[in-house]
Amino acid sequence: MAKFEPVLLKNLGVEGSRTLKVYRSRGGYAAAEKVIKEMTPDTVIESVKASGLRGRGGAGFPAGMKWSFLPPERKVTYFCINADESEPGTYCNRVLMENDPHQLLEGILIAGFATKTTVAYIYMRVEFHEQFHIMQTALDEAYKAGLFGKKIFGTDLSMECYIHRGAGAYVCGEETGLIESLEGKRGWPRIKPPFPAIEGVFQKPTVVNNVETLCCLPHIFERGVDWFKSIGTENSTGPKLYTISGPVKRPSCFEAPLGITCRDLIFGDDFGQGMLDGRKVKGCIPGGLSVGVLTEAELDCKLDFDDVRNYGLLGLGTAGAIVIPDDADIRQVLANIARFYSSESCGQCTQCREGTNWMYKIALRIALGAGRISDLDLIENITNNMGMMPGLSICGLPDGAAFPIRTIVQKFRGEFEDHIRRQDPGYTKTVLKRLNPAVYELPVLGRRPESLVGQPE
Amino acid sequence: MAKIIVDGREIECRERIPVLYAALEAGWDIPHYCYHPGLDVVASCRLCLMEMKMPHPKTKEMDWSPKLLPSCQTPVKDGMEVRFNSDRVRDNRRDCMEYYLLNHPLDCPVCDQAGECWLQDYSRKFGEATSQMVEAKNVNPKKDVGSKTLLYQDRCVMCSRCVRFCDEIAGTGELGIVNRGSKSEIDVFPGVPLENELQGNVVDICPVGALLDKDFLMDQRVWFLKSSDSVCPGCSTGCAIHVDHNRDQVWRLKPRFNPGVNDWWMCDEGRFGWKYIHDERRLDRLVVRRGAEIEYPDWSALDEIARIRFGTVVKDDGEEKVAGVLSPFMACEEAWLLARFIREIAPKATLVMGPVPTEGEDKLFPQNNGDSAKFTIRSEKCPNRRGIEMILKNAGGPSVSFEDFVKKAGQSEFAAAWVVGGYPGEWVTKEFASSLAKVKMVFAQDLFSSPLTEAAEVVIPSCSWAERSGCFVNHEGKIQPFEAAIAPLEGCQRDGNYLFALSGESGLYNASRVRAMMAEVMPEFGKLHVPPSLPKHAH
Repeated sequence: MAKFEPVLLKNLGVEGSRTLKVYRSRGGYAAAEKVIKEMTPDTVIESVKASGLRGRGGAGFPAGMKWSFLPPERKVTYFCINADESEPGTYCNRVLMENDPHQLLEGILIAGFATKTTVAYIYMRVEFHEQFHIMQTALDEAYKAGLFGKKIFGTDLSMECYIHRGAGAYVCGEETGLIESLEGKRGWPRIKPPFPAIEGVFQKPTVVNNVETLCCLPHIFERGVDWFKSIGTENSTGPKLYTISGPVKRPSCFEAPLGITCRDLIFGDDFGQGMLDGRKVKGCIPGGLSVGVLTEAELDCKLDFDDVRNYGLLGLGTAGAIVIPDDADIRQVLANIARFYSSESCGQCTQCREGTNWMYKIALRIALGAGRISDLDLIENITNNMGMMPGLSICGLPDGAAFPIRTIVQKFRGEFEDHIRRQDPGYTKTVLKRLNPAVYELPVLGRRPESLVGQPE
Repeated sequence: MAKIIVDGREIECRERIPVLYAALEAGWDIPHYCYHPGLDVVASCRLCLMEMKMPHPKTKEMDWSPKLLPSCQTPVKDGMEVRFNSDRVRDNRRDCMEYYLLNHPLDCPVCDQAGECWLQDYSRKFGEATSQMVEAKNVNPKKDVGSKTLLYQDRCVMCSRCVRFCDEIAGTGELGIVNRGSKSEIDVFPGVPLENELQGNVVDICPVGALLDKDFLMDQRVWFLKSSDSVCPGCSTGCAIHVDHNRDQVWRLKPRFNPGVNDWWMCDEGRFGWKYIHDERRLDRLVVRRGAEIEYPDWSALDEIARIRFGTVVKDDGEEKVAGVLSPFMACEEAWLLARFIREIAPKATLVMGPVPTEGEDKLFPQNNGDSAKFTIRSEKCPNRRGIEMILKNAGGPSVSFEDFVKKAGQSEFAAAWVVGGYPGEWVTKEFASSLAKVKMVFAQDLFSSPLTEAAEVVIPSCSWAERSGCFVNHEGKIQPFEAAIAPLEGCQRDGNYLFALSGESGLYNASRVRAMMAEVMPEFGKLHVPPSLPKHAH
């Protein structure tokens, strides 16, 4: 394979890449100008559809398709840029905004033109302090140059853009949670329908797209749909930013065509360059925490939108890989993951609110050395009751919690069992008794047989 | 009307209501916490999930959806087919009930809600006997959220009904949810306690024992309470209520569903305004004064006493010297019987409506958010002004306003008067008392002693509305019946009983019988406003 020429990261490392002058000198805003002056919104949407660009936020929904759901007769359209990058292990949006803020702004212009956007909001997570100032400076610069506001490029197009900072909640990365938060409410995902395309921000048609999705747009129109389709695999086209963290030699953000394998990402010379200090890989969470875990034997999984599902994972997610080294205690890993979801569940739906907390308590007890073999079955059960069946909750957070926890327990079950067998049974008993003497002492009754309840007599 | 198929059985239901409510109305017991027909749908309790038949995305064949759908959020559509009796739905309910009880303290023995708790009911019906959790429970102490309400946070199921009530109906928005995940809890902002005038409703709509009424706290186990359908006498809105009582003691009032009048709600003024029923200062015996002499005759003698004494006045002073003051706290039946009696003895007697208490202006809710009114507390603090007006109009003949009556009485234009009170507070003004002193003979029918009863020749202890039955006509003319909840105070008689005897009828007073008699002359009383009852399993 020839060395991949970076697309999204082409300005990375260029001096002054944050400034409009440098960005323009490297061909910036030409695509946007061409699109706005020469194309119609419909042809833009058609081109994006043809390019096969899929949303980079995690679910991989085709971007052009999402835009075509907007009602044709509408006066106001809001465009939300999801920069609430809070998936653990992911930092590609941060890299993009830090190094090339104008690329994002150009993407917003193109997408805004295609969706007839009146106001665009960049919803940025609160922890992005520096990135916020970088983006704000770039936006001010763009406004001054007439790229936002009224009469953009001398045409009739006008569009406003604001940066909104969140208040630090994982669930606000979910599109309806983001919308609620943007409206100034508690970041609770909304019930759907109505979908945001019909009723989103302030009850108006709204599109929510990820930063990286928008950053792809200028390149699609600069180099053409066919070029874009030539990158990646058949159903997952285009370049993708992969991030890698954990004890690898070069933990960083890399750009590659969609469809590289997880092994490439960890060991490839262009990427992670292998493990640090002679460690071995125990497992790898390939795409942000929520997708689930791959074992060492499964590292040949292709990181595109489809192949990951063959390995029991939720999806590609955000392609932020977390490498678990062989010297990590899997119990600690599990407890840490469970802690994250327990603290980030918004508390709206019962299953997620109670289930994530329960799993955390169990995982913590296992990590402390007081686990039981039956706890592993119980955790699997909870994940099944909570997120594996679609429709049980309003948003996808419980699915996101269920997948990593379930795959870890399933794929590393032997290791868990070894740990549990080796622990001191007396200690386990003491802990259990102390936690809840009543429950511990009670005989375990059988589950109630199924009966038809709830129907009219 | 739409036809839908639920669990293979076709039911008919109104268009566009949630499937959940359609099924509840048809008799299904679908567990639900967050759904309340009077509030926005949030679909967060995830108990009412169902399966629906949908076209398969590829083959377009109708099949059960792979997703479970919240039935509270899915509107009824003609021809739709749903089911609640599948394994997936049952499993989800079972798991949900287990989740609800994970951090619940299981303190039913000391919880006021026990017996009317939907967590108990649903656990028993849809849940499991045991929990699989061995971990320590999250502990969350109780909180004092307002002057009338306590919040036991660890019993809460986070249905957010109370929060939505404060936002949407009261419009004051005191309650909110703080924190996230399993640590989330209902709370008020510091320094802004729950102090709206509808706050009692949050206790009613709380499906579990999280929000409790301080007034009723640890008073009675609810299974001892008996409930009577009644109408609140607090203002002219005429909220339908339940009077919950045990052993002739009223313990609490709860709103009764009455669409268009009070819907599901009632105000705190009415809810806690019943305490005068059990006031120790209430009059409790029939008193007859002959000069300085005081007698306490038996109730059976009242008929004769009234007829002889009024007869004497009519003979001595003339028919037009007799007056009857009807209180807007009387039931229509009682007022009609009394008016009939007075007009029978003295056809030219003057009939007067007692003072109509008013207080400030009508209070509309929601208060702050500019929505159209969903609940109103009326300024007219009596239940039956319109009813008495109807009776007076029907009775015809001389009738004056209360002010004129007081004036005329002061000028000694009346020799005998039957004055009915029944007001929960003091109502006899100095002016009224001094002008009544000029009336030779006064029959006072009232709850509490006052200058009126002290000067009266005959004092008849009246009963509160909870001890009587009849009907009130509310501000918009709805004739609403109420039944007697408790036995009258020892020594008292139901007002209807002696008025019935006085007007020459035999047998016992029965409100519906009197109404049938009234309907012959006033056809309006043939048609009562009786609100529909809620579906059995709705709450």
